[in-house]
Amino acid sequence: MKNLQNKVAELFENGTINLMIGFKEAIHKLPVPCFIDNVSQIEQLIFTPSCKGNLAVYLHKIEIKQAKKVGILGNIATLRSLVQLTSENQLGDIVKTVITINAQGEVVVFSTMDEVEAYVQANFPEYTDEDKKLLEQLNAMTRAERWQYWTEQFSACIKCYACRAVCPMCYCPTCTVESNQPQWIKVSSQTTGNLEWHTMRAMHLAGRCINCGECGRICPVGIPVHLLTAKMNQEIEDEFGAKTGFSCKSGYALNTFKPGDKEQFIK
Amino acid sequence: MDFEPKIVAFVCNWCTYAGADLAGTSRTKYATNVSIIRFPCTGRIDFMLLMKAFENGADGIIVSGCHPNDCHYTSGNFHARRRWIVFRSVLDFMGFDTDRITFSWVSAAEGTKWAGLVDETTEKIREKGAFTDFKKLDVETTNQMIDEELAK
Repeated sequence: MKNLQNKVAELFENGTINLMIGFKEAIHKLPVPCFIDNVSQIEQLIFTPSCKGNLAVYLHKIEIKQAKKVGILGNIATLRSLVQLTSENQLGDIVKTVITINAQGEVVVFSTMDEVEAYVQANFPEYTDEDKKLLEQLNAMTRAERWQYWTEQFSACIKCYACRAVCPMCYCPTCTVESNQPQWIKVSSQTTGNLEWHTMRAMHLAGRCINCGECGRICPVGIPVHLLTAKMNQEIEDEFGAKTGFSCKSGYALNTFKPGDKEQFIK
Repeated sequence: MDFEPKIVAFVCNWCTYAGADLAGTSRTKYATNVSIIRFPCTGRIDFMLLMKAFENGADGIIVSGCHPNDCHYTSGNFHARRRWIVFRSVLDFMGFDTDRITFSWVSAAEGTKWAGLVDETTEKIREKGAFTDFKKLDVETTNQMIDEELAK
């Protein structure tokens, strides 16, 4: 931890960054995001395996953008979001430094996105065992069983949109759910409207989701919403060979096409 | 009364709409269950429109446009095809009956193909029966809400 704090202090002193997004310890030793803008606060900074939050989501906030020289601390999922966001031209040049701690416990500092990209490609994360198991279970179900499973899950949804708020890839200034002329998604938390919302979310994140699993972890009623986007990622990788958050130049799978894309269902 | 399926067709202006027009001018007889909605291009057909059609009582949907390489705007149908592949797998993963959506390429010269497609889809949906999955869900939630209120 001392190493990390020293590195960040160094970056502040030589003027590389004027704002650091990281984690600090809160009540019950739980990590919460913190925003450090002067050297005296650096001793709060921590990074432990329980720091699973994806801090890249804050990079879309206007206050952070105004800081102009931002450093960000994160795990592999956060780095992957940074790569994906760069490929979507969303970061500009506000991120000056990216810091992570690798598997050996060493502090790794990146100053360009190309370095981040190389690190992500070398340490590309797999699905967690739990997710793999759930996906396999769902794939093995019949259509009617899946419908039963998902409608039961979605009937609990309270439309808090926490899954949207926590997602670094959901950055549209105006979301379709806020549109009321026409109203695409019903405001009340009725199951059909919930189903539409989650279909829309899965569609808009298909080929862009970086599998950090934050949406599933944040859900107050425990719907495994991250499975939908994880499944779509798998599908897009199989169909079009596009990996998300893998390259800064990959772009968006649904924004492009190949004349030879295969399907069996169009008559 | 016998069940008559309601079918909504989302078609592109340049090929399938013209194809349907050809079917009409050549007096080809086909099922009257279909309501055609004309779009500038298949690339304009958003998946939310399909969801809304089902929510508003459609039993089946036809989505159709120009054959690959024939798009009036060069690449609209290629983009649409990728989107349909993904949309179908989202729906399938959720357990939605994807057979209720028929995807097709119908060119401006294929009036008979269009007539056949509509007939075939109508027959398929007639066998499947009315689409009640969404309605059932809403009824269930409403009943649940009423029960909760009464229990207070």
